[in-house]
Amino acid sequence: MIHVTQLSIRYYSRRRPAVHDVNLQVRDGECVLLLGPSGCGKSTLALALNGLIPHSLEAELSGSVVLDGLDTQRTPLAQLTQRAGLVLQDPEAQLVTLQVEDEIAFGLENLCLPPATIHQRIGEALAAVHLSHLRHTPVWALSGGQKQRVALASLLAMRPRTLIFDEPTAHLDPRGAHMVFEQIAELRRLGQHTLILIEHRLDALMDLVDRVVVLDADGRPLLDGCPCKVFDHTNAPHLHRLGVWMPQVSLLAHRLGLRPVPFTLAGARQLLAEQRPKLARGASIARTANAAPHGPLVVRVQGLSCAYGSHVVLRDIHLDVQAGECLAIVGANGAGKTTLAKHIAGIATPPPGRVFVCGLDVAQTPAKQLMRHVGFVFQNPEHQFVTSSVADELRYSLRHAQHPPAHVEAQVQTLLARFKLERYANVNPFTLSHGEKRRLSVAAILATARDVLVLDEPTFGQDQQTGYAIMQMLRDLQREGCTIIFTTHDMTLVAEYADRVAVLQGGRLVFHDTPRELFRQGELLHRANLDMPPLRQLAEALGVGATTLEDWVQLLQPTEIAAA
Amino acid sequence: MMTALAPPGSRLQRVNPLVKLLAIVPPVTLAMLSNDPYLPSALALLAVLTLWIGGVSLRQLVRAVLPAAALILFFLVSYPLVIRRELVLDTPVIFSLGGLEVRWGALQAGAKAGLRIFALVTLTLVFSLTTDGAAFVRALVQQARLPYRVGFAFIAAFRFLPLIQQEVSVIRAAHRARGVDDGPGPLGLFRRVRRMAVPLLASAIRQAERAALAMDGRAFGAFPQRTWLHRAHFTYADPLFLAAFWLSVAAILWGLGQLGLLAPLVIVQRL
Repeated sequence: MIHVTQLSIRYYSRRRPAVHDVNLQVRDGECVLLLGPSGCGKSTLALALNGLIPHSLEAELSGSVVLDGLDTQRTPLAQLTQRAGLVLQDPEAQLVTLQVEDEIAFGLENLCLPPATIHQRIGEALAAVHLSHLRHTPVWALSGGQKQRVALASLLAMRPRTLIFDEPTAHLDPRGAHMVFEQIAELRRLGQHTLILIEHRLDALMDLVDRVVVLDADGRPLLDGCPCKVFDHTNAPHLHRLGVWMPQVSLLAHRLGLRPVPFTLAGARQLLAEQRPKLARGASIARTANAAPHGPLVVRVQGLSCAYGSHVVLRDIHLDVQAGECLAIVGANGAGKTTLAKHIAGIATPPPGRVFVCGLDVAQTPAKQLMRHVGFVFQNPEHQFVTSSVADELRYSLRHAQHPPAHVEAQVQTLLARFKLERYANVNPFTLSHGEKRRLSVAAILATARDVLVLDEPTFGQDQQTGYAIMQMLRDLQREGCTIIFTTHDMTLVAEYADRVAVLQGGRLVFHDTPRELFRQGELLHRANLDMPPLRQLAEALGVGATTLEDWVQLLQPTEIAAA
Repeated sequence: MMTALAPPGSRLQRVNPLVKLLAIVPPVTLAMLSNDPYLPSALALLAVLTLWIGGVSLRQLVRAVLPAAALILFFLVSYPLVIRRELVLDTPVIFSLGGLEVRWGALQAGAKAGLRIFALVTLTLVFSLTTDGAAFVRALVQQARLPYRVGFAFIAAFRFLPLIQQEVSVIRAAHRARGVDDGPGPLGLFRRVRRMAVPLLASAIRQAERAALAMDGRAFGAFPQRTWLHRAHFTYADPLFLAAFWLSVAAILWGLGQLGLLAPLVIVQRL
């Protein structure tokens, strides 16, 4: 049992509380999904539930958290760690030793258990996450999904009743995420644990969730109840405005006015089968939308290979991108996505004659000239900030592009307005929110590069609304003639926004065509560690041809669309 | 760093890390103080043989030792250029090139310096090439009474150094993508360091904070002591290794002395 009573938490460095007056009760064996916009205090609440706040991270705390009858503020952390374990999002940061066995032993050794007991518990924990064969493997040799499983095993070994997952798949590719979800599903089936999940890839999880708790932007509890209630039509506009992630199938139901709102794939499938009996198997939308534009070639990759030492990252890549196209680069972690993107943008220098952008050989064009045509936006926007104010970031870029000084100020204002950053002109970039940082980093790159924008996971760490806003912004740029190239793990983004998609597998380009075509090739998806977007899975299950939300709308409301 | 280790379970890996560290102290000291080319050569040979017998593959051995061997060549070539002329004036000229006279004494001094360093490197490899970081920390904590919190600080460093290194290269690339060019020389370096300090510090602090949460979340530091799954042991192999290694060093000293090849050690000379 977890009893949270009037809990408010404020970090000493902040003026406003991160979590505000939360009351929450979680029964043993329940599975609760915690949602909210980015920065709403979900993670803070998670840290308070197992006592890390205030024991490890100091903060001003009022109210109480009672875990299995123990008040977390008055119980030593060592005792609390045996009641509740927390899996964090970054697999790198939460593994603290060099080897799998040592990692799982770590907590048990801290509890001063005798070696024989530790030995036995390691065996059990590894068996529970199906990694017994990796017991003596060094940590660096594990995949992201395996690392998260090891992190889970290291907690399971301490036999907590409650397990808290704070975005455990944020850093993982689709296969890695699948691995983690399967693991959580298995824990759910065994029914011995209370599960609290913070996650935004919801469609894979909703089958397991009993209850959804939503925090608003100020960290106040907004909704608490069964998913069918939380995601229903009355709440939808509210959640949407807040930027709370919702299952794709619920979004579809909101859009189409379907009732009751489904929240799992199975639910949506049943609902559509009942309410839309006319939806014929094999129905498919006209294939005009999403067709690739036929502009001149703006990026040419001809036989690009790349190796770091003996480790080959890219093998003989041939890829053409047309002007005004939006290309997604996808693949497993380590398949070479970012490396390819960096070579296109000249961040990594390709061998001569292999990569051309706007007719310029990337290898032989001076950086300053290349920068005017192609820009690269890094995954972490903070990495690219080089000045101490938002306006200066833009000025810096514009001066570099050798804009006449008279134009610079006007241009800064235009960019600030366009990216909705006017209010923050004199603010330090590091103090912006996630979404604002990302907008600024795109604006700063765009200030110099006009033709091709390359982005590494542009929506990473964003909530649904800011992620959507970023993609809309990219789509607007594309309409103005900019070519967009982005890497991602999010197949829904690929389906919704990309004209074409390049799939990398072990450094080879194994597919280059439209998203529609990609999601028809189940075997290829499996081989490349990818998956189908939820709405495509729904279409597969019903035997109809639809990939995106718009496809579904067209399929189910053809008349209204025509009228509009 | 970690891939360079000898295979686990090889003979030298099984020797207690503290014993290995102790074992190389006398020969390292001798090599540092040596004043002839023979003693460091013999000690280096002993080190290489120890590694080979201890289970390090020849290929790995060559890869580790070769860069150090290149140093000998470097000293051999550079000494005649930099050595004070009056020090070697009484030795014969071997050849002269333009104004440069290469004298026997200069070559000898170069060889001595190069071999000394070579011996130091190969002797250190006996420890570093065959010792797993975690095992070393375990031995330090369990047998040398190092507080375990300090021990884990070492392990954390092992884990985080590569991550920080990676972060540095990403941030540098990210700044270059903005068109940052800090220019060459110390001034450029200063500008670069200043520019990178904030983002690097921000991410290092975040990493450290997360790691601390992960450790505290598993009861790290809950008690003054902790247990260990693996005990660091002294086994019969440890004194055997120590005795054999030290006896070999003594034999080298004695042998060279008998052959009259041993120059007085540097301190002895000064006294």
